Amino acid sequence: MSEGALPKEDAVLRVDDLQKSFGGLAATDHATFAVERGTITGLIGPNGAGKSTLFNLISGFYEPDGGTVEVNGTDVTGLEPYEVADHGLIRTFQTPRKLEGMTVREAMLVGPRNQPGESFVKLFATPGAVAESESTNLAEAERILEEFEIDHLAAQPATDISGGQMKLVELARAMLAEPEVLLLDEPVAGVNPTLAKKLKDQIRRLNEQGTTFLLIEHDMEFVMDLADPIVVLDQGSVLTEGTPEGVRSDDRVIDAYLGGGT
Amino acid sequence: MTVLGYLANGLVFSSIIVLGSIGLSLVYSIADFANFAHGDTMTVGAYAALVTFGAVGGLGGAVLGLPYGFFLALVVGIAVAAVVAVGTEKLVYEPLDIDSIGLLITSIGIAFIYRAVIQIRFGSDFTRYGIQPLRPIEALVPYGVRVTLHDVAIVGSAVVLVAGLHVLLQYTDLGRKMRAMADNPDLARVSGIRTKRVKLWTWVIGAGLAGAGGVFLGLFNQLSPRMGFNLLLVIFAAVILGGIGSVYGAMAGGFLIGMINQLTPFFSGVVDSLPIWPGWLNAALESLVSIEYANAIAFVIMVAVLLVRPNGIAGEGAT
Amino acid sequence: MSLLSDPEAAIADLSRPEKWVLGVSAAFALFLLAALLTGALGPTYFLFLVGLAGMYALLSFGLNAQWGYTGLINFSVAAFFGIGAYGSALMTADSSPIAGGFNPLVGLVVALVLAFVLALLIGIPTLRLRADYLAIASLGLAEVVRLIVLNERWLTNGSAGVRGIPSFFEGWPVLSTFPETMPGLRLVVIPGSPILLETSFWRASLNVLLVLAFAGATFLVLRRAHQSPWGRVLRTIRSDEDLARALGKNTYSFKMQSFVLGSLIMALAGVFYTHLNLYVGPGDLDPITTFYAWVAVILGGSGSNRGALFGGIVIVTIREGTRFLNDVALPIDPAPLRLLLIGVVIVAVMRYRPQGILPPQRELIWPSAVDDAGSDPPASGVREQKGGGDDE
Repeated sequence: MSEGALPKEDAVLRVDDLQKSFGGLAATDHATFAVERGTITGLIGPNGAGKSTLFNLISGFYEPDGGTVEVNGTDVTGLEPYEVADHGLIRTFQTPRKLEGMTVREAMLVGPRNQPGESFVKLFATPGAVAESESTNLAEAERILEEFEIDHLAAQPATDISGGQMKLVELARAMLAEPEVLLLDEPVAGVNPTLAKKLKDQIRRLNEQGTTFLLIEHDMEFVMDLADPIVVLDQGSVLTEGTPEGVRSDDRVIDAYLGGGT
Repeated sequence: MTVLGYLANGLVFSSIIVLGSIGLSLVYSIADFANFAHGDTMTVGAYAALVTFGAVGGLGGAVLGLPYGFFLALVVGIAVAAVVAVGTEKLVYEPLDIDSIGLLITSIGIAFIYRAVIQIRFGSDFTRYGIQPLRPIEALVPYGVRVTLHDVAIVGSAVVLVAGLHVLLQYTDLGRKMRAMADNPDLARVSGIRTKRVKLWTWVIGAGLAGAGGVFLGLFNQLSPRMGFNLLLVIFAAVILGGIGSVYGAMAGGFLIGMINQLTPFFSGVVDSLPIWPGWLNAALESLVSIEYANAIAFVIMVAVLLVRPNGIAGEGAT
Repeated sequence: MSLLSDPEAAIADLSRPEKWVLGVSAAFALFLLAALLTGALGPTYFLFLVGLAGMYALLSFGLNAQWGYTGLINFSVAAFFGIGAYGSALMTADSSPIAGGFNPLVGLVVALVLAFVLALLIGIPTLRLRADYLAIASLGLAEVVRLIVLNERWLTNGSAGVRGIPSFFEGWPVLSTFPETMPGLRLVVIPGSPILLETSFWRASLNVLLVLAFAGATFLVLRRAHQSPWGRVLRTIRSDEDLARALGKNTYSFKMQSFVLGSLIMALAGVFYTHLNLYVGPGDLDPITTFYAWVAVILGGSGSNRGALFGGIVIVTIREGTRFLNDVALPIDPAPLRLLLIGVVIVAVMRYRPQGILPPQRELIWPSAVDDAGSDPPASGVREQKGGGDDE
């Protein structure tokens, strides 16, 4: 139905004919698209178009009724979220809950995947290796915090920073997990313009360094400026896909946003 | 006893469980936490009735082997349970600034306070209302059914209360709002329902029914400070079986759990007579399906339901 | 260490609740000392109380590893305590209906294995459930365990319980005969009321030694685990399980590990209780034990090991204080009074200080890593921030 279904040579994420319904209502209706390596792909659509459901299906939080999800050429359909993450797909949440009793630095250190210190046995069998990885991770966390220009927050309780700062920390932490493709769920929702600009710059910088992004965002200005290509979702399926200019001038997109649907 | 006899006992016990489970389910969905003090609210009702009946006496006549005074005591038991629950809501739960898990833990403290006060005042021994126990109804004994007029009164009163609740839920404004809130609290809030007021009425109705259940439990067995807490898990099992938030589900769940509980000796007889192979399995089943494990069976059913259908047997399957 | 070299600075560094707890503890210790010296408190009974406090501290450590770290609402503490107690009692006691007569070390191992198996049996179905369902289900399954212990007489002696349990050190060189070989001592601090230290005293001091060993080892293990990346994943799960999953953590496995670890510690408390009390019965599986542990943990501060220790001492004070009160002052049955106090403490903590009296405050990062990374020592990070605003 949409030209976006054409196979792409170097797709880091491939969604094929994905379906999910809740109580008979199709939330995701044969959605097909791919995210090419090295892009910042935007995922937009009117309220209730099924963007969040799609994210949950891709990242393993929901099990699809049909269709497949491939990350780096590996079929990850039906895997647990942690297994999907192990294939290099990391996601963030629209409204991150604050980590109680942790400093920002500690919250950052949850990011790195498969730390030796996450094995209870290794804590006592090989404490040296645990300490080594912990100090590497700590140094890396502080480096990334500096790059994000939020290193002054490191010792703050994670519960005390603003929502916008939390979004920055979330992005910074996700980078510690070394994602090949990073799914951002409304990265600038409720974030003030200054911080939003900062987030945009960071996403662009990380993209230039090789991270692929797929992001949901309601702020059209933000997404049109940052993302290319853009995938438009309506009523659970891909309506169209293309450059920001192409999407902007597409009548079907305008209809969808005006509530006309089909 | 015959199957019919066990079914009759099950019906009586179910009536009590249903009265308890409706309130627990309503509070679970509308006040949004698992209220571990619900069993002890039943105890409060029972002891309030004990005191009232002791004070007013029989008041002349009797219905179904129960003196008029007992029905007055029943009303007082319902009222006291409701007042205590509303007072607790106003004094303790409402001012708290914590999530539903915090409320759950708080309710355990409340349960202990209710029970401790009763135990300090009345001691920990079993006691009874000063009502002469009746002999089983003669006409039914040949069928293996040994129920007394008191049991008939319990079932009858429970039916009246449940029917009253049904009318309230279906035909009054408050009832519609309660159902809306139980169904989807967030939606109810944005659609302009004064949730605080509905919540308060939920406590009144839920605790009142629990109080009635407690009074009948005291008549069915005996009174003791632990009577309600001991029944709490069975009631939770009923609520979960019926699906949290569904009043009619709670009725169905309470009915089923009460029946299963009282039918355990019958099942035990069935297991004994079945040729189960291998022998060790037979022995294990024979020892586990017995009256001592009647409650345990309910808990295991509850855990199984939680695993397979967290929304209850009638609710939508888990995703 | 710093407390000894520079006590004033060390005390000034404490937060207000810490000072408060320190003050009350010191006053309480002085009170006990005075009672001991005047002979009002028998030294053997005192050691029994210390043992009991250690036991509740162990139970609280166990629950803390589940609820405090990971947020698992386990209402089956009594079942694990009971399985530990029964496991060791049935292996070692003369009156055991099954095995009996084994060395207490065998009992210890068997108890821990049983607790491990029970933790898997309860954990596998319940740890995928929502937090409040876990509470209900675990309370129900604990009741199933209690009913089995009560009714399966061929296995447990049923309501009669198990008697004839040896001391933990039976069969050990030196220690097994230590209480008998020690001479009886007679100390006179205040003329007219001598303090007698006899065999029972030495036996009780061995028990204290045992519980100190159990609790000390547990504390060290927990401290390392808590400040490790492992502990950090658990703390993330407590606040936001979905976040942990999205970051590639197998949360079900972590929850299971946390549950098993806590359950083993609770069983350890049960093993100690067996050899302290020398009798176990089905009453020891009463749900009240579960809620004693809960009060200790939420009062001390969920997630805080020292808080759990403090909570354990408070529980013993409530338990024995009500008995004492009944003996000397008010003729109130101690059982409901305890229940009342427990209830009031739960409600008061949730109302006025839901984070507990001694919440964990220090930043938890593997200690040597902080030095290696050469960053500013974060040990004071949260404390400084909290110092001003958080003390109410």
